[in-house]
Amino acid sequence: MEGIIFDIQRFSISDGPGIRTTVFLKGCSLKCIWCHNPESINSKKELQIVSHKCIGCGNCIAVCRNHGYEMIDEKKVYYKDRCQLCGECVSQCYSKSLQMSGKNMTVEEVMTEIRKDLTFYEDSNGGVTFSGGEPLLQSLFLKELLKKCQSEGIHTAVDTAGNVPFGSFMHIIDYTDLFLFDLKMMDREKHKKYTGAFNDLIHANLKKLVQLKKHVFIRIPVIPGINNSKEDMQKLIEFIKNLPIDLVELLPYHSLGGSKYESLAIPYELASLKTPTKEEMTEIGKWFKQANINVKVS
Amino acid sequence: MSKALSYQDRLDRIREIKMIQTKEKQRIYGTDGYWDMDDKGLIAPPESFTFTPESDQDDGEYYGAKMTGLNYRKLLESHPVYINPMSSLAGGWMYSFYDIKKPKWDSRIDYSFLHELQEKYDLVHGIGGIQHFNVDIQMGLTLGFDGLLEKINKYEKLHGEDKKEFYQAERDVVLGMLDMIRRHAAAAKVMAETETREDIKENLLKMASVNEKLLISAPETFHEACQWVAWFILFAVMYDFNGAGGSIDKYLRPFYERDIKEGILTEEEAVFHLACLLVVDNAYYEIGGTYEDGRDRTNKLTYLVIEAAHRIRIPTSICLRVHDNMDKGVLELAVKYLFEDDMGTPSFLGHDAVVEGFMKNGYPIELARQREKTGCHWCALPGREYTLNDIVKISFLAVYDVAFKEVINDSEHSPSVERIWDSFVKHLSIAVDTIAAGMDFHLKHMHKVFPELMLNLLCHGPIEKGLDISNGGVEYYNLCVDGAGLATVADSFAAIKQRVEIEKRISWEKLKEVINNDFEGAENIRLMLKNIKRFGNGDSIGDEFAKRISETFTQLVKEKPTPEGRNMIPGLFSWANTIPFGKKIGASANGRHAHMPISHGANPDPGFSDGDTPTAMAKAVASVQCGYGNTAPLQLEFDPKIGATEEGIKLIVSFIESLFHMGGTLLNINLISKEKILEAHKDPSLYPELVVRVTGFSAYFASLSEEFRQLVVNRIVEG
Ligand code: SF4
Ligand code: SF4
Repeated sequence: MEGIIFDIQRFSISDGPGIRTTVFLKGCSLKCIWCHNPESINSKKELQIVSHKCIGCGNCIAVCRNHGYEMIDEKKVYYKDRCQLCGECVSQCYSKSLQMSGKNMTVEEVMTEIRKDLTFYEDSNGGVTFSGGEPLLQSLFLKELLKKCQSEGIHTAVDTAGNVPFGSFMHIIDYTDLFLFDLKMMDREKHKKYTGAFNDLIHANLKKLVQLKKHVFIRIPVIPGINNSKEDMQKLIEFIKNLPIDLVELLPYHSLGGSKYESLAIPYELASLKTPTKEEMTEIGKWFKQANINVKVS
Repeated sequence: MSKALSYQDRLDRIREIKMIQTKEKQRIYGTDGYWDMDDKGLIAPPESFTFTPESDQDDGEYYGAKMTGLNYRKLLESHPVYINPMSSLAGGWMYSFYDIKKPKWDSRIDYSFLHELQEKYDLVHGIGGIQHFNVDIQMGLTLGFDGLLEKINKYEKLHGEDKKEFYQAERDVVLGMLDMIRRHAAAAKVMAETETREDIKENLLKMASVNEKLLISAPETFHEACQWVAWFILFAVMYDFNGAGGSIDKYLRPFYERDIKEGILTEEEAVFHLACLLVVDNAYYEIGGTYEDGRDRTNKLTYLVIEAAHRIRIPTSICLRVHDNMDKGVLELAVKYLFEDDMGTPSFLGHDAVVEGFMKNGYPIELARQREKTGCHWCALPGREYTLNDIVKISFLAVYDVAFKEVINDSEHSPSVERIWDSFVKHLSIAVDTIAAGMDFHLKHMHKVFPELMLNLLCHGPIEKGLDISNGGVEYYNLCVDGAGLATVADSFAAIKQRVEIEKRISWEKLKEVINNDFEGAENIRLMLKNIKRFGNGDSIGDEFAKRISETFTQLVKEKPTPEGRNMIPGLFSWANTIPFGKKIGASANGRHAHMPISHGANPDPGFSDGDTPTAMAKAVASVQCGYGNTAPLQLEFDPKIGATEEGIKLIVSFIESLFHMGGTLLNINLISKEKILEAHKDPSLYPELVVRVTGFSAYFASLSEEFRQLVVNRIVEG
């Protein structure tokens, strides 16, 4: 069975306990404007062009059978519509100016990568985290991976935004040791505005998950001007405080993704946003503590 | 009257003074690489100080025990006094005896029969090599300087005329040492007379009495023991750069426990003395480990040494031995301070791997457990083993280059990777044999050139037998042979295999052409060769070749002893040689430009994968260990942010344990952000206090040469 993966990161230390490997599955059902991994949103492969790395060797133009590139006024132009994503140009671009975002991989291929760090998982009580995009969009593939991991004694975590039918969760629920469940904000309209979807389904799914006594860490990205107000946070606290979850993690927004958007030629709306300060984060953390919520500020 | 200074106040002053001295050294010797090695405690001497060694030769030089002993005594007798009134320990060094001596070899002792092959493979052959073995400081603490003198006199009587010169030379060295200690004791008293601060005055008087005591007996108190060690370290580093400081938490422990029991020492005071000792010179000390029977040897002093390094916050070279039965607390504290202090200290040794490895040479486990980590990347038995550690190197790249050219220029047979490999093995075997013959030659003649008069004193055998350690004085001879440039060569083989043989993207002719032209006008091909799955990814062709090279090298070193029957131990390490080894060799098939440095230690080349994760590096380096008790270290750069939380520290601790569970031998960690290192690289003089862990040692970044700074930067930025 194959899935589409856009990255596998070893020595991942902020996606669940211990030293982990995080497998990023491609495709997302939300479109958060602050997204760090824009290449994860589209569920298909995409060609990424990092122009400053190009050494002008001309290989790409020469190998493409679909006229994907043309020289216009001594500048190379890429025609997305003509491109069949065959990857030939990428394999001949030795400067790594061209990169394919997304790769079909079999369960066994992914497992080979995961197994590389077994010793580290054991010594650090770590394991593997499946993230995205939204990994549950590939729930059957995910299920196979999780099953395999569990049978090999590897701790499993799934990082989800929750915006999928609960049926998808049902596929994997028995094979997942820990859910990292992202919440953004309680306000329905605002949620729709910034992520492209209402949050009703997400909240319903979270409630069901905890009813089934699963271990859950809730993860909240703190984004200045979007959800960092006391009001927004209080609403989240109200919702969370009655749920039997293990931990809430507050993650400061980092402006990282801008240049990535550029290479994928999609507009990025938050280029000017600043990272919240440590003090701000600690202050927000206090609000959660006051409500007796086990909170961790990153 | 001013308030008495606390121990921490005094340490802060001492650090300030050290920084002034460091800046002074950077000014005198230039910021550009006055010291491409450990940040030694060297203090710039007063301009009035000069020293000219005496000669008994027509050419104005001196060789052998007699003149070396005389000259060293003369140096010690004229060496300026250095007392820092804030410190509890007297002494400082301003002169490098061996360094100034030239030539280093007596050309009448001819080894031109080895020259051709030594040059062909660019061998660092170790002939004329000095120190790089370990002394038994515990023995020195038991005997004291006067006891050493008695020992010399006693054994002299048991030997004939032929040993007179040797014993006289050893005696000269001890007399020189006693003179220098005497002058310091007197100077401390004089300084005390004019000192107005009561506490400092008291300190100087105490310093004087401690030193007077050491003139006539072995140390008894912790303070005396620290001063004794300080003197030994100073005399030995001045003599020939010795940096071996031994298991400090082992030999000082009885003094500490006794004084604490008698109520004449506090923990705080002990930490202070230890910190003062660390300032004297950046020697290689180890802590932790096990007793001979395998029980954990962690004790209170293990903690205090780490605490002392934390309090003084200067570059030190302390190594913590890590094993499964150890007191975890000390490991956690060490990692905590590593991140907090950003001094790159301590390093971590995989106790089990080096012990088990050393046993494979045919030694019992009890002996293997006594081998101490007292050098940049090496271990040795205290006072009982001669090793030539870290001074004998085979550059895999030089050997590979001979093989590559042999095959590619052979007009009769078509080239293949396997043919290059076979040729590589053939030449590597000759290189190992040449090294072995050279080491035998060294051991036959070195004592006539520059004997180890200083270190002999703390070894078991040389004084008893009247033989220099390089001349059969001790029990064990296990000679270190290191391979260098593993990643560079593994990736070169892999690049040819993948691009030329498997994918056929370029032809052999083209390969030959671009390599001959240093990729001129062929950047695309250079990148094609560079961007393969390199050593470090775990399951790549590069990894296969790295393992194959390490195994083959190990086999060649281990298949037979030297012609005269001495055991050799393989390891993988190069730091100082990475630049000169690279300079001699043109472009290589891994996309390395002509004359650029070779890879560092056993590390994969920076940029071997997307992100070069620490786990990938750890696995890679663990997978290429030679396995006979000498190390193939892992040099890692961590983001300083990881250690900011307790959780992060736990993660690093478990990471270290994992590395050693996989068979890793040694870990050096550097903590510095890309931004900071790039800033400092632009103008190092703006960052005179920035410390980087270069490899087995830490150093002030500004004191490294431009080329070495570039290497450190590459590692951090590309990695
Ligand atoms: S193959 Fe890569 S480097 Fe060459 S022209 Fe195309 S994008 Fe540039
Ligand atoms: S991926 Fe294939 S189709 Fe698309 S531009 Fe490259 S070579 Fe052409």
